[in-house]
Amino acid sequence: MTPPDEPSLDTELLEEDDSIDPQIILADERYEVIGRILCEAYEPGQAKWILSDMLDRVLLHRYLGLPIFLVTMWAMFHFTFEISLVFMEMITQFFAWIGTFTSQIPNPLLASLLTDGILGGVGFILTFVPPIFFLYLAISILEDTGYLSRAAFVMDRFMMKMGLHGRSFIPLLLGFGCSVAAVMAARTVDGESNRLTTILVSPLMSCAGRLPIYILIAGVFFPAIAGTVVFLMYMLGIVMAIIVAIIFKKTILREESSSMLMELSQYQIPTAHGSFRHMWDRGILFVKTAGTYLLAGSIVMWVLSSFGPTGLGVPVEESFAALLGQIVQPIFAPLGFSWQVVMGLIFGFLAKEAVIQSLAIVYAVGGLSLETALLASMSPLTAVAFLIFVLLYVPCLATVGAIRKETGSWRWTGFSVAYQVVLAYVIAALVVIVGGVFIV
Amino acid sequence: MYSENLHLPEDSRWPSILTLVIGVAYLGVGVVQIFSSLHLITPIVGFSDLIGGFLLIIVASVFLTGVRPLSMNNQEGYAFIAVGYILAALLFGLQVLVILTNGLGWFLQFEDWLAWNIWNDITPSLWLFVILMTATGSIWVIGNMRDKILGVRKEVPP
Repeated sequence: MTPPDEPSLDTELLEEDDSIDPQIILADERYEVIGRILCEAYEPGQAKWILSDMLDRVLLHRYLGLPIFLVTMWAMFHFTFEISLVFMEMITQFFAWIGTFTSQIPNPLLASLLTDGILGGVGFILTFVPPIFFLYLAISILEDTGYLSRAAFVMDRFMMKMGLHGRSFIPLLLGFGCSVAAVMAARTVDGESNRLTTILVSPLMSCAGRLPIYILIAGVFFPAIAGTVVFLMYMLGIVMAIIVAIIFKKTILREESSSMLMELSQYQIPTAHGSFRHMWDRGILFVKTAGTYLLAGSIVMWVLSSFGPTGLGVPVEESFAALLGQIVQPIFAPLGFSWQVVMGLIFGFLAKEAVIQSLAIVYAVGGLSLETALLASMSPLTAVAFLIFVLLYVPCLATVGAIRKETGSWRWTGFSVAYQVVLAYVIAALVVIVGGVFIV
Repeated sequence: MYSENLHLPEDSRWPSILTLVIGVAYLGVGVVQIFSSLHLITPIVGFSDLIGGFLLIIVASVFLTGVRPLSMNNQEGYAFIAVGYILAALLFGLQVLVILTNGLGWFLQFEDWLAWNIWNDITPSLWLFVILMTATGSIWVIGNMRDKILGVRKEVPP
């Protein structure tokens, strides 16, 4: 076999026409070399398309690719929400059953700690194990089939048009699971400016930690379309990430965008073992978090809700939690958030799961069920503003740490936290103002 | 040209007609579902999901995009049928799971499921796929029988 001719890069062409992307020329050259080698080593027959090529013909279609991606995403979130409801109810009933014993403990302090603090906090957050496991199962199946890389390819076309780097969509997709993973995956993005943009917008994607909040609020305020509300929140996360990335690229992080070159593997039928294994590996992290950080957080929250400046057993409105919440609450008054909600959001800086957990404990100590209290303290419009605020503000402390590590800069880390909080506040306020005009 | 392993029919005329019928059915039902969910027509049981209506229209558009290449005997059209079936099966499977889990909640007499009625969960994505598969299965059986009969005729000496 004679060696193929050395590929020559036509530099003159590059100089003559700046509009041609050098990466595309490199890719052309690369495939030309591959073609030459194949001509030497492979006897070409009639072109044969296999099932994988057949599916790509439609799934990567110029016009149908995006609608099909949306159908897939909707199916994923519908599956996550609708299927898990009955299993969530089983866990709720289980903890309610345990609560009938703990509430009868003679020591009222211990009874309140176990019933309102531990069961009301960690027990409540554990009811969201089924949707989180189902979400990870759906993501695993999509990954294992090979569709998720196609989704990045489909979105690349739109992201390139907006001056963004196509490869950025892969970390963003990982953000559906965990924002820390999304921030770290930004390492694969070429170019300092593109990488920084991806790191900064990754936290806007809805992570699994936000899912319990969406499910609770959507289930309480919009029960008939709860699954669709959850889907729309995830889509809003993508849209906001793209809009913010465009703003950054046009202002503080200017850099020429480069093409994405991706090798798309063939479609595979996912194995049950593989998909469930991936689901378990990722989902168990949530359970571990609930058993450690969230357990500690629920005890702290119970202490803050049960103790006040005058001592133990004060009404929850006079507790340390109320004092803290009432100090910050005026800032959120235009959004219609009560001090309990504000307390939840403050704890949410540690982890998003803590938002719901804090609300559950504060209301439980006050002798109210979470659903009843939410309906009494929020209008549906405020609930939407709350969902949007939760979607857009800092996901968790671990993500802030990951941003610091990846950027190596406190300045960018501070900027990331600040812009997310401001963005969340502004968009939530817009929802309240615009929604208020239409509703009134 | 697709691999022979895919066993695609040589003549795409009948598949193109079938695809057109399926596409129009999904499109029509999708539009009715949107109208019903928006109360532009008398609400129909199982037609209450607006997004579900749009999803049916997307499935319809996949099928309908395949009609043109198939009518020109271009085998690329089969790709649209394949993806259309996959999407329709996805929506069908999802609805079956919803019915099963809702049925479980009702069976266990959980409070939120006491008033559950299976008819509300019999959505167009469910029964359209049943019709689709029944029609496809029938055509496949008829096609096989036709081939056998024609094959026998060919063997008969003139």
